[in-house]
Amino acid sequence: MRKLGAVLTSMAIMAMTVVGNAGAATKGIVIDGSTTVGPIAKSFAAYFMKKYKVPVTVSESGSGNGAKSLINGSCDIADMSRSMKPQEIAAARARRINPVANVVALDGLAMIVHPSNPVRNLTAAQIGDIFSGRVNNWRQVGGPNFPIVVIQRESNSGTQETFKDLVMKGRQVVRNAETQASNGAVKNRVSQTRGAIGFVGFGYLDASVKKVAVNGVFPSAATVKNKSYKLARELYMYTNGRPAGMVGKFVDLPKTPDGKRIIRELGYISRY
Amino acid sequence: MNLGTRKLLDRSFTALGIGSIVIMGLALLVVLFPIVTKGVGAVVFKGTIEHRKLLFTEFHHGAARELEKEVALSSNYRQKAFDMLASFDKELEQMPPERQDQYRDSYEQVKAALRALLGPLPGEEQPELARFRFGQTRWDKAEEKLHNLLYEQKWDYSNPDVIAKPYDVSRAASFAGTSLVRLFPYVEENIDKMMLPEWTFYWGFITDNSLDAHFFGGIWPEIQGTIFLAIGAMVFAFPLGVIAAVYFTEYARDGFLTSMLRSANSTLAGVPSIVFGLFGLAFFINTLHVSESKSVLAGSLTLAIMILPTIIRASEEAILSVPKTYKEASLGLGSTKWNTIVTVILPAAMPGILTGGVISLGRAAGETAPIIFTAAVSVGAAIGLGDVLSSPTPALSWNIYNLASEHEAAAEIRHVQYGMVLALVTVVLLLNLSAIILRARISKKLKG
Repeated sequence: MRKLGAVLTSMAIMAMTVVGNAGAATKGIVIDGSTTVGPIAKSFAAYFMKKYKVPVTVSESGSGNGAKSLINGSCDIADMSRSMKPQEIAAARARRINPVANVVALDGLAMIVHPSNPVRNLTAAQIGDIFSGRVNNWRQVGGPNFPIVVIQRESNSGTQETFKDLVMKGRQVVRNAETQASNGAVKNRVSQTRGAIGFVGFGYLDASVKKVAVNGVFPSAATVKNKSYKLARELYMYTNGRPAGMVGKFVDLPKTPDGKRIIRELGYISRY
Repeated sequence: MNLGTRKLLDRSFTALGIGSIVIMGLALLVVLFPIVTKGVGAVVFKGTIEHRKLLFTEFHHGAARELEKEVALSSNYRQKAFDMLASFDKELEQMPPERQDQYRDSYEQVKAALRALLGPLPGEEQPELARFRFGQTRWDKAEEKLHNLLYEQKWDYSNPDVIAKPYDVSRAASFAGTSLVRLFPYVEENIDKMMLPEWTFYWGFITDNSLDAHFFGGIWPEIQGTIFLAIGAMVFAFPLGVIAAVYFTEYARDGFLTSMLRSANSTLAGVPSIVFGLFGLAFFINTLHVSESKSVLAGSLTLAIMILPTIIRASEEAILSVPKTYKEASLGLGSTKWNTIVTVILPAAMPGILTGGVISLGRAAGETAPIIFTAAVSVGAAIGLGDVLSSPTPALSWNIYNLASEHEAAAEIRHVQYGMVLALVTVVLLLNLSAIILRARISKKLKG
């Protein structure tokens, strides 16, 4: 009995200290959303915490979830690798939330294959054929006689939606396509699967996968900037209204010299 | 059945039992051995001078004077390599443009490889991201990067009809006839003098904050988050579970409602954890608004609901196993029902109740799905006890998943991931151990 009493008292004391401290805690910035914008958000967060001593937390749960979090009022900034859809904006308005897009950076969608794959170039039409299942062997697009493993992203992904807009143009992705839940997972899978093809943001490119030129244009910062590389999109941080204070400072980071350098070092393309 | 057959059956059953225990032991060994060996590699490894520089500039560990001495020592050797680059720069300028073009790309690759190995080259702007400000901090990684400097991996695409095979090309060969050729054997020979590797016990891996999205530093925020979430879940679930069990065993009359409640409880125990996660998001955050965003509080509540059925079941069993005579004696002495429960039955059942608690505690610490939407973030600082009501936290289980799949440079920081796995196993073990010790002390008291 005494033990039980002691346990209960200590719990009560713990609960009280928690409540007592809660008022003193500084409110941090909560960021949720796209895995493509994730590396930028994480590096910005580290920079921001060091410079302004404001706690920033970053979750990477996908663009769709980021939008939902912003609509539900459970995050301050929603990272998105696509722009908000009309129905999302309507849902936000219904909850008296006014989503404002802040452009963070430009990003290309790089088509990646296993490094052993000799294919160097694909046309947008060929990519569409591959992803819609009309082409299922590398031989049909000038490669070796090897079956193609199509890797796509989950429906929640902004990268997937951008890809569908830019390449699929209304066609359905083939049903036996493998679905991975993040850019990192796609890269991982492609680097381990010989016949695989997938797409990731530029920030995720490294030597473990091979980039393929699209319509003869090699994906790079320069070709995205001069608009010759077609699979490019803007990355956004959505906020509720024009943010003031710390959140405003955060979404304005891409315009500062330090912010531009972070974006460049991570492999993205600064918009400003 | 004659005696011989019975003996044979008996023996074979014993053998089967021993066999299955041996298989279980082996499986445990196969699982635990790599976890421990790889995980320890995050704390104990051959650290290079870059690691000591990093610790000093970012975490203020180590002695300034010693570090200066070491830096001076290694820069002697590094300078020679940088001089070779500089002399090649001059040579490149004097070449005809078409030869310049021939070397430009591969020279950039050499510089990038050297940068990865030693950190920013002299005269270059200091990068903003910590991951590019330092060279390789671990000797095993440094050896990998040295290989990248010496050899270029190429793929044999000569036959377009087959999948290509990789082969290594010496970079020195592609610079034959230029002054840069000397660089490669020089770096290969003097790499240990440039990097000064020595065995390091990096305890900071457990106590430091992470730096630059887990590239460097430690995992303290994750460890602390896991402990907060597990204990928070227990704070809610344990008293509730015990009270519910007392109701079921002592107060509830056997009837339709009670049996419904019981089977509901059993069903709840079998619900997949992701369902609890989504329920937590929909109920605690979006409906009840216990916090504005994900928070330790919301995560703890979700975990509490997940482990509640286990605690109720275990507590019920424990209470039912208290001998009836205890209760009868207490009531016979004129004690009230409530008094009997609190002073006689619960203390006697406590060891069994705590066993259920121990199992649930381990589960709460290790579950990923319930906290994805309610509490866990991939990057965040360690939070204070005062922030648990409103702040989300990194947690080991979720960050292991994040580093394994989502992180942009997952392959570069595998050791952090392994370290996190070992830390999670250890945290669960320690939490269980403390609960087991508590249980042992209570049982001892009851006996004595």
